Amino acid sequence: MASISIRSLVKRYGNFTVIPDLNLEIADHEFVVFVGPSGCGKSTLLRIIAGLEPISSGDLYIGDKRVNGVQAAQRDIAMVFQDYALYPHMKVYDNMSFALELRGVPNAEIDARVKRAAALLHIEPYLDRKPKELSGGQRQRVAMGRAIVRNPKAFLFDEPLSNLDAKLRGQVRAEIKALSQELKTTMVFVTHDQIEAMTMADRIVVLQSGTIQQYDTPEIVYERPANQFVAGFIGSPAMNFFPVEWRAEGAILSQGGTAVPLDGETANRLRRAGSAVLGIRPEHFAVVDAADGIAVNVRLVEPLGSDTLIHFDLAGGSAIARVDPALRPKVGDRITVRPQQGKTHLFDAANGQVLR
Amino acid sequence: MTDAANTDRWIRRLNLVQLVLAGVIIMAPTVWMVLSSFKPSFEVTAYPPTLVFSPTLDNYVELTKTTPFLSYALNSLIVTVGSTALGLLFGIPAAFAVSWTRISWPAILTLAARMAPGTLFLLPWYVMFRQIGMIGSFTALILSHAVITLPIVIWVLLPSFDGIPRSVFEAAQVDGCSVTRILWRIALPLVASGVAVSAILAFVFSWNYFLFALVLSNGDTKTLIAAAFNFIGEGSTQWGALMAAATLIALPPLVLAALVQRWLVSGLTLGAVKG
Repeated sequence: MASISIRSLVKRYGNFTVIPDLNLEIADHEFVVFVGPSGCGKSTLLRIIAGLEPISSGDLYIGDKRVNGVQAAQRDIAMVFQDYALYPHMKVYDNMSFALELRGVPNAEIDARVKRAAALLHIEPYLDRKPKELSGGQRQRVAMGRAIVRNPKAFLFDEPLSNLDAKLRGQVRAEIKALSQELKTTMVFVTHDQIEAMTMADRIVVLQSGTIQQYDTPEIVYERPANQFVAGFIGSPAMNFFPVEWRAEGAILSQGGTAVPLDGETANRLRRAGSAVLGIRPEHFAVVDAADGIAVNVRLVEPLGSDTLIHFDLAGGSAIARVDPALRPKVGDRITVRPQQGKTHLFDAANGQVLR
Repeated sequence: MTDAANTDRWIRRLNLVQLVLAGVIIMAPTVWMVLSSFKPSFEVTAYPPTLVFSPTLDNYVELTKTTPFLSYALNSLIVTVGSTALGLLFGIPAAFAVSWTRISWPAILTLAARMAPGTLFLLPWYVMFRQIGMIGSFTALILSHAVITLPIVIWVLLPSFDGIPRSVFEAAQVDGCSVTRILWRIALPLVASGVAVSAILAFVFSWNYFLFALVLSNGDTKTLIAAAFNFIGEGSTQWGALMAAATLIALPPLVLAALVQRWLVSGLTLGAVKG
């Protein structure tokens, strides 16, 4: 168990810089999720921690030890790969015991550790099988078992749920979360799925173009996004954005000139800025009486069971509201929506940073 | 019958004709060789060739009486097994290194060496081995035949190693394996059929190779195929004995290929598609 410290890290492939300058501190026992779109550098960062990619410049510490030049084999890190990367010619038992055997752990202890991990992951009946005889979910568990038996300083997960179907993904997600609470080991998890990030992480690192956009708890990342990128990336469906400006009569959508009812604090910030980008999450739109909000035309209705998504046209673009499932307007209906007080966000129109 | 079905029928017929033609072209000399080895000596070169004859083992008896055939066979076996082992010993790590580093020029270089005519190597080999007094030794023959076996091993195994997902090697690295141990414990068991195929192909090519043995061997180390050349004389050629020798020489590779033909094809395509 150890902390991970990344200082002024740069990663280049030839002339192409993937990570320009990154600083990150992951505390001991912490569960940190790297999230971001494809190509943002999250997997590269994980592979650098694992020792599978060299660092161009900067420092990486695992615990108190600087590990820049240390081989993956010597870092005492366990990793679960996207495609599980089990050894196809070895039985499940041997897959799990291999790393211990390499470290010269006595046979009796290897057996005890493998059986304990197998029991924890409910894979005892499969110990004599080869990986090809297992389902995707079972392979996933074996890959986790292979990591657990080692009692490593930290676990690294590289999108381990992306090959599972939706139901199994939810189940394994909960199991990994429970495992992290039981093992109390530092865990770094890479995903492009913001639901995985939100549900599992103690803290989330939101990455874009190799740069950390925000590093905070899921609640803060969701409720107080640092910039427009984070606001748009975290949350599903994504946050709605509208250019907005302050005029004598109040907040007005720049396109179409519709007045937007904002709470006092947000209105003050907009007044100070003059113009900005207004962000409203779909779940923070309320459908209200005609006199009290913005009248819009319903373009599409998606009943999801637990709630209903209403697509409507606003300010020259498209917007989404997530509303009570009992509410079932029809396409073409005219409804009135209103942003919930205190739930709106303002971003600088030039650089996307949140306006506070 | 529809046009599509008609076309399909014709394609099948043409395929059959092609296969029969290919079979005839490939097999006719072999059949002719085997039949000739059982003909009386005067009938071997008779024109027109006789298809009906009284089979005899005279040519085989003549062969064993006039030449130390078993001794030559043993020489062939020593050179072939030695050069195949040498090819595997260096070819397996070489193919793995090329696959691991993704630096392909060494593999291209070995392929170029394999494609170059044998005479290109013959003179340097001859001068080199003569200078160090190794002409006629098994060592010289085995080393020279490694020029044949090494590229085969590398080129058969390279796609097999490439076919193993990279993440499996990376998982082994994270588990604590050195590169050598990854080759030994992870990669090699996964390409076992490829190793077998490369060994068989290397064996066959080395067994059949004529040129190096002709120049670099002596009476004690002559291989079967070089010895068979002795039956061709300037004035008269012992065609019957030559055919008997050729039939016996062809036997081990043919038997080997027939035994493992299914494996051979799957091994050659191994690594083409990820499992």
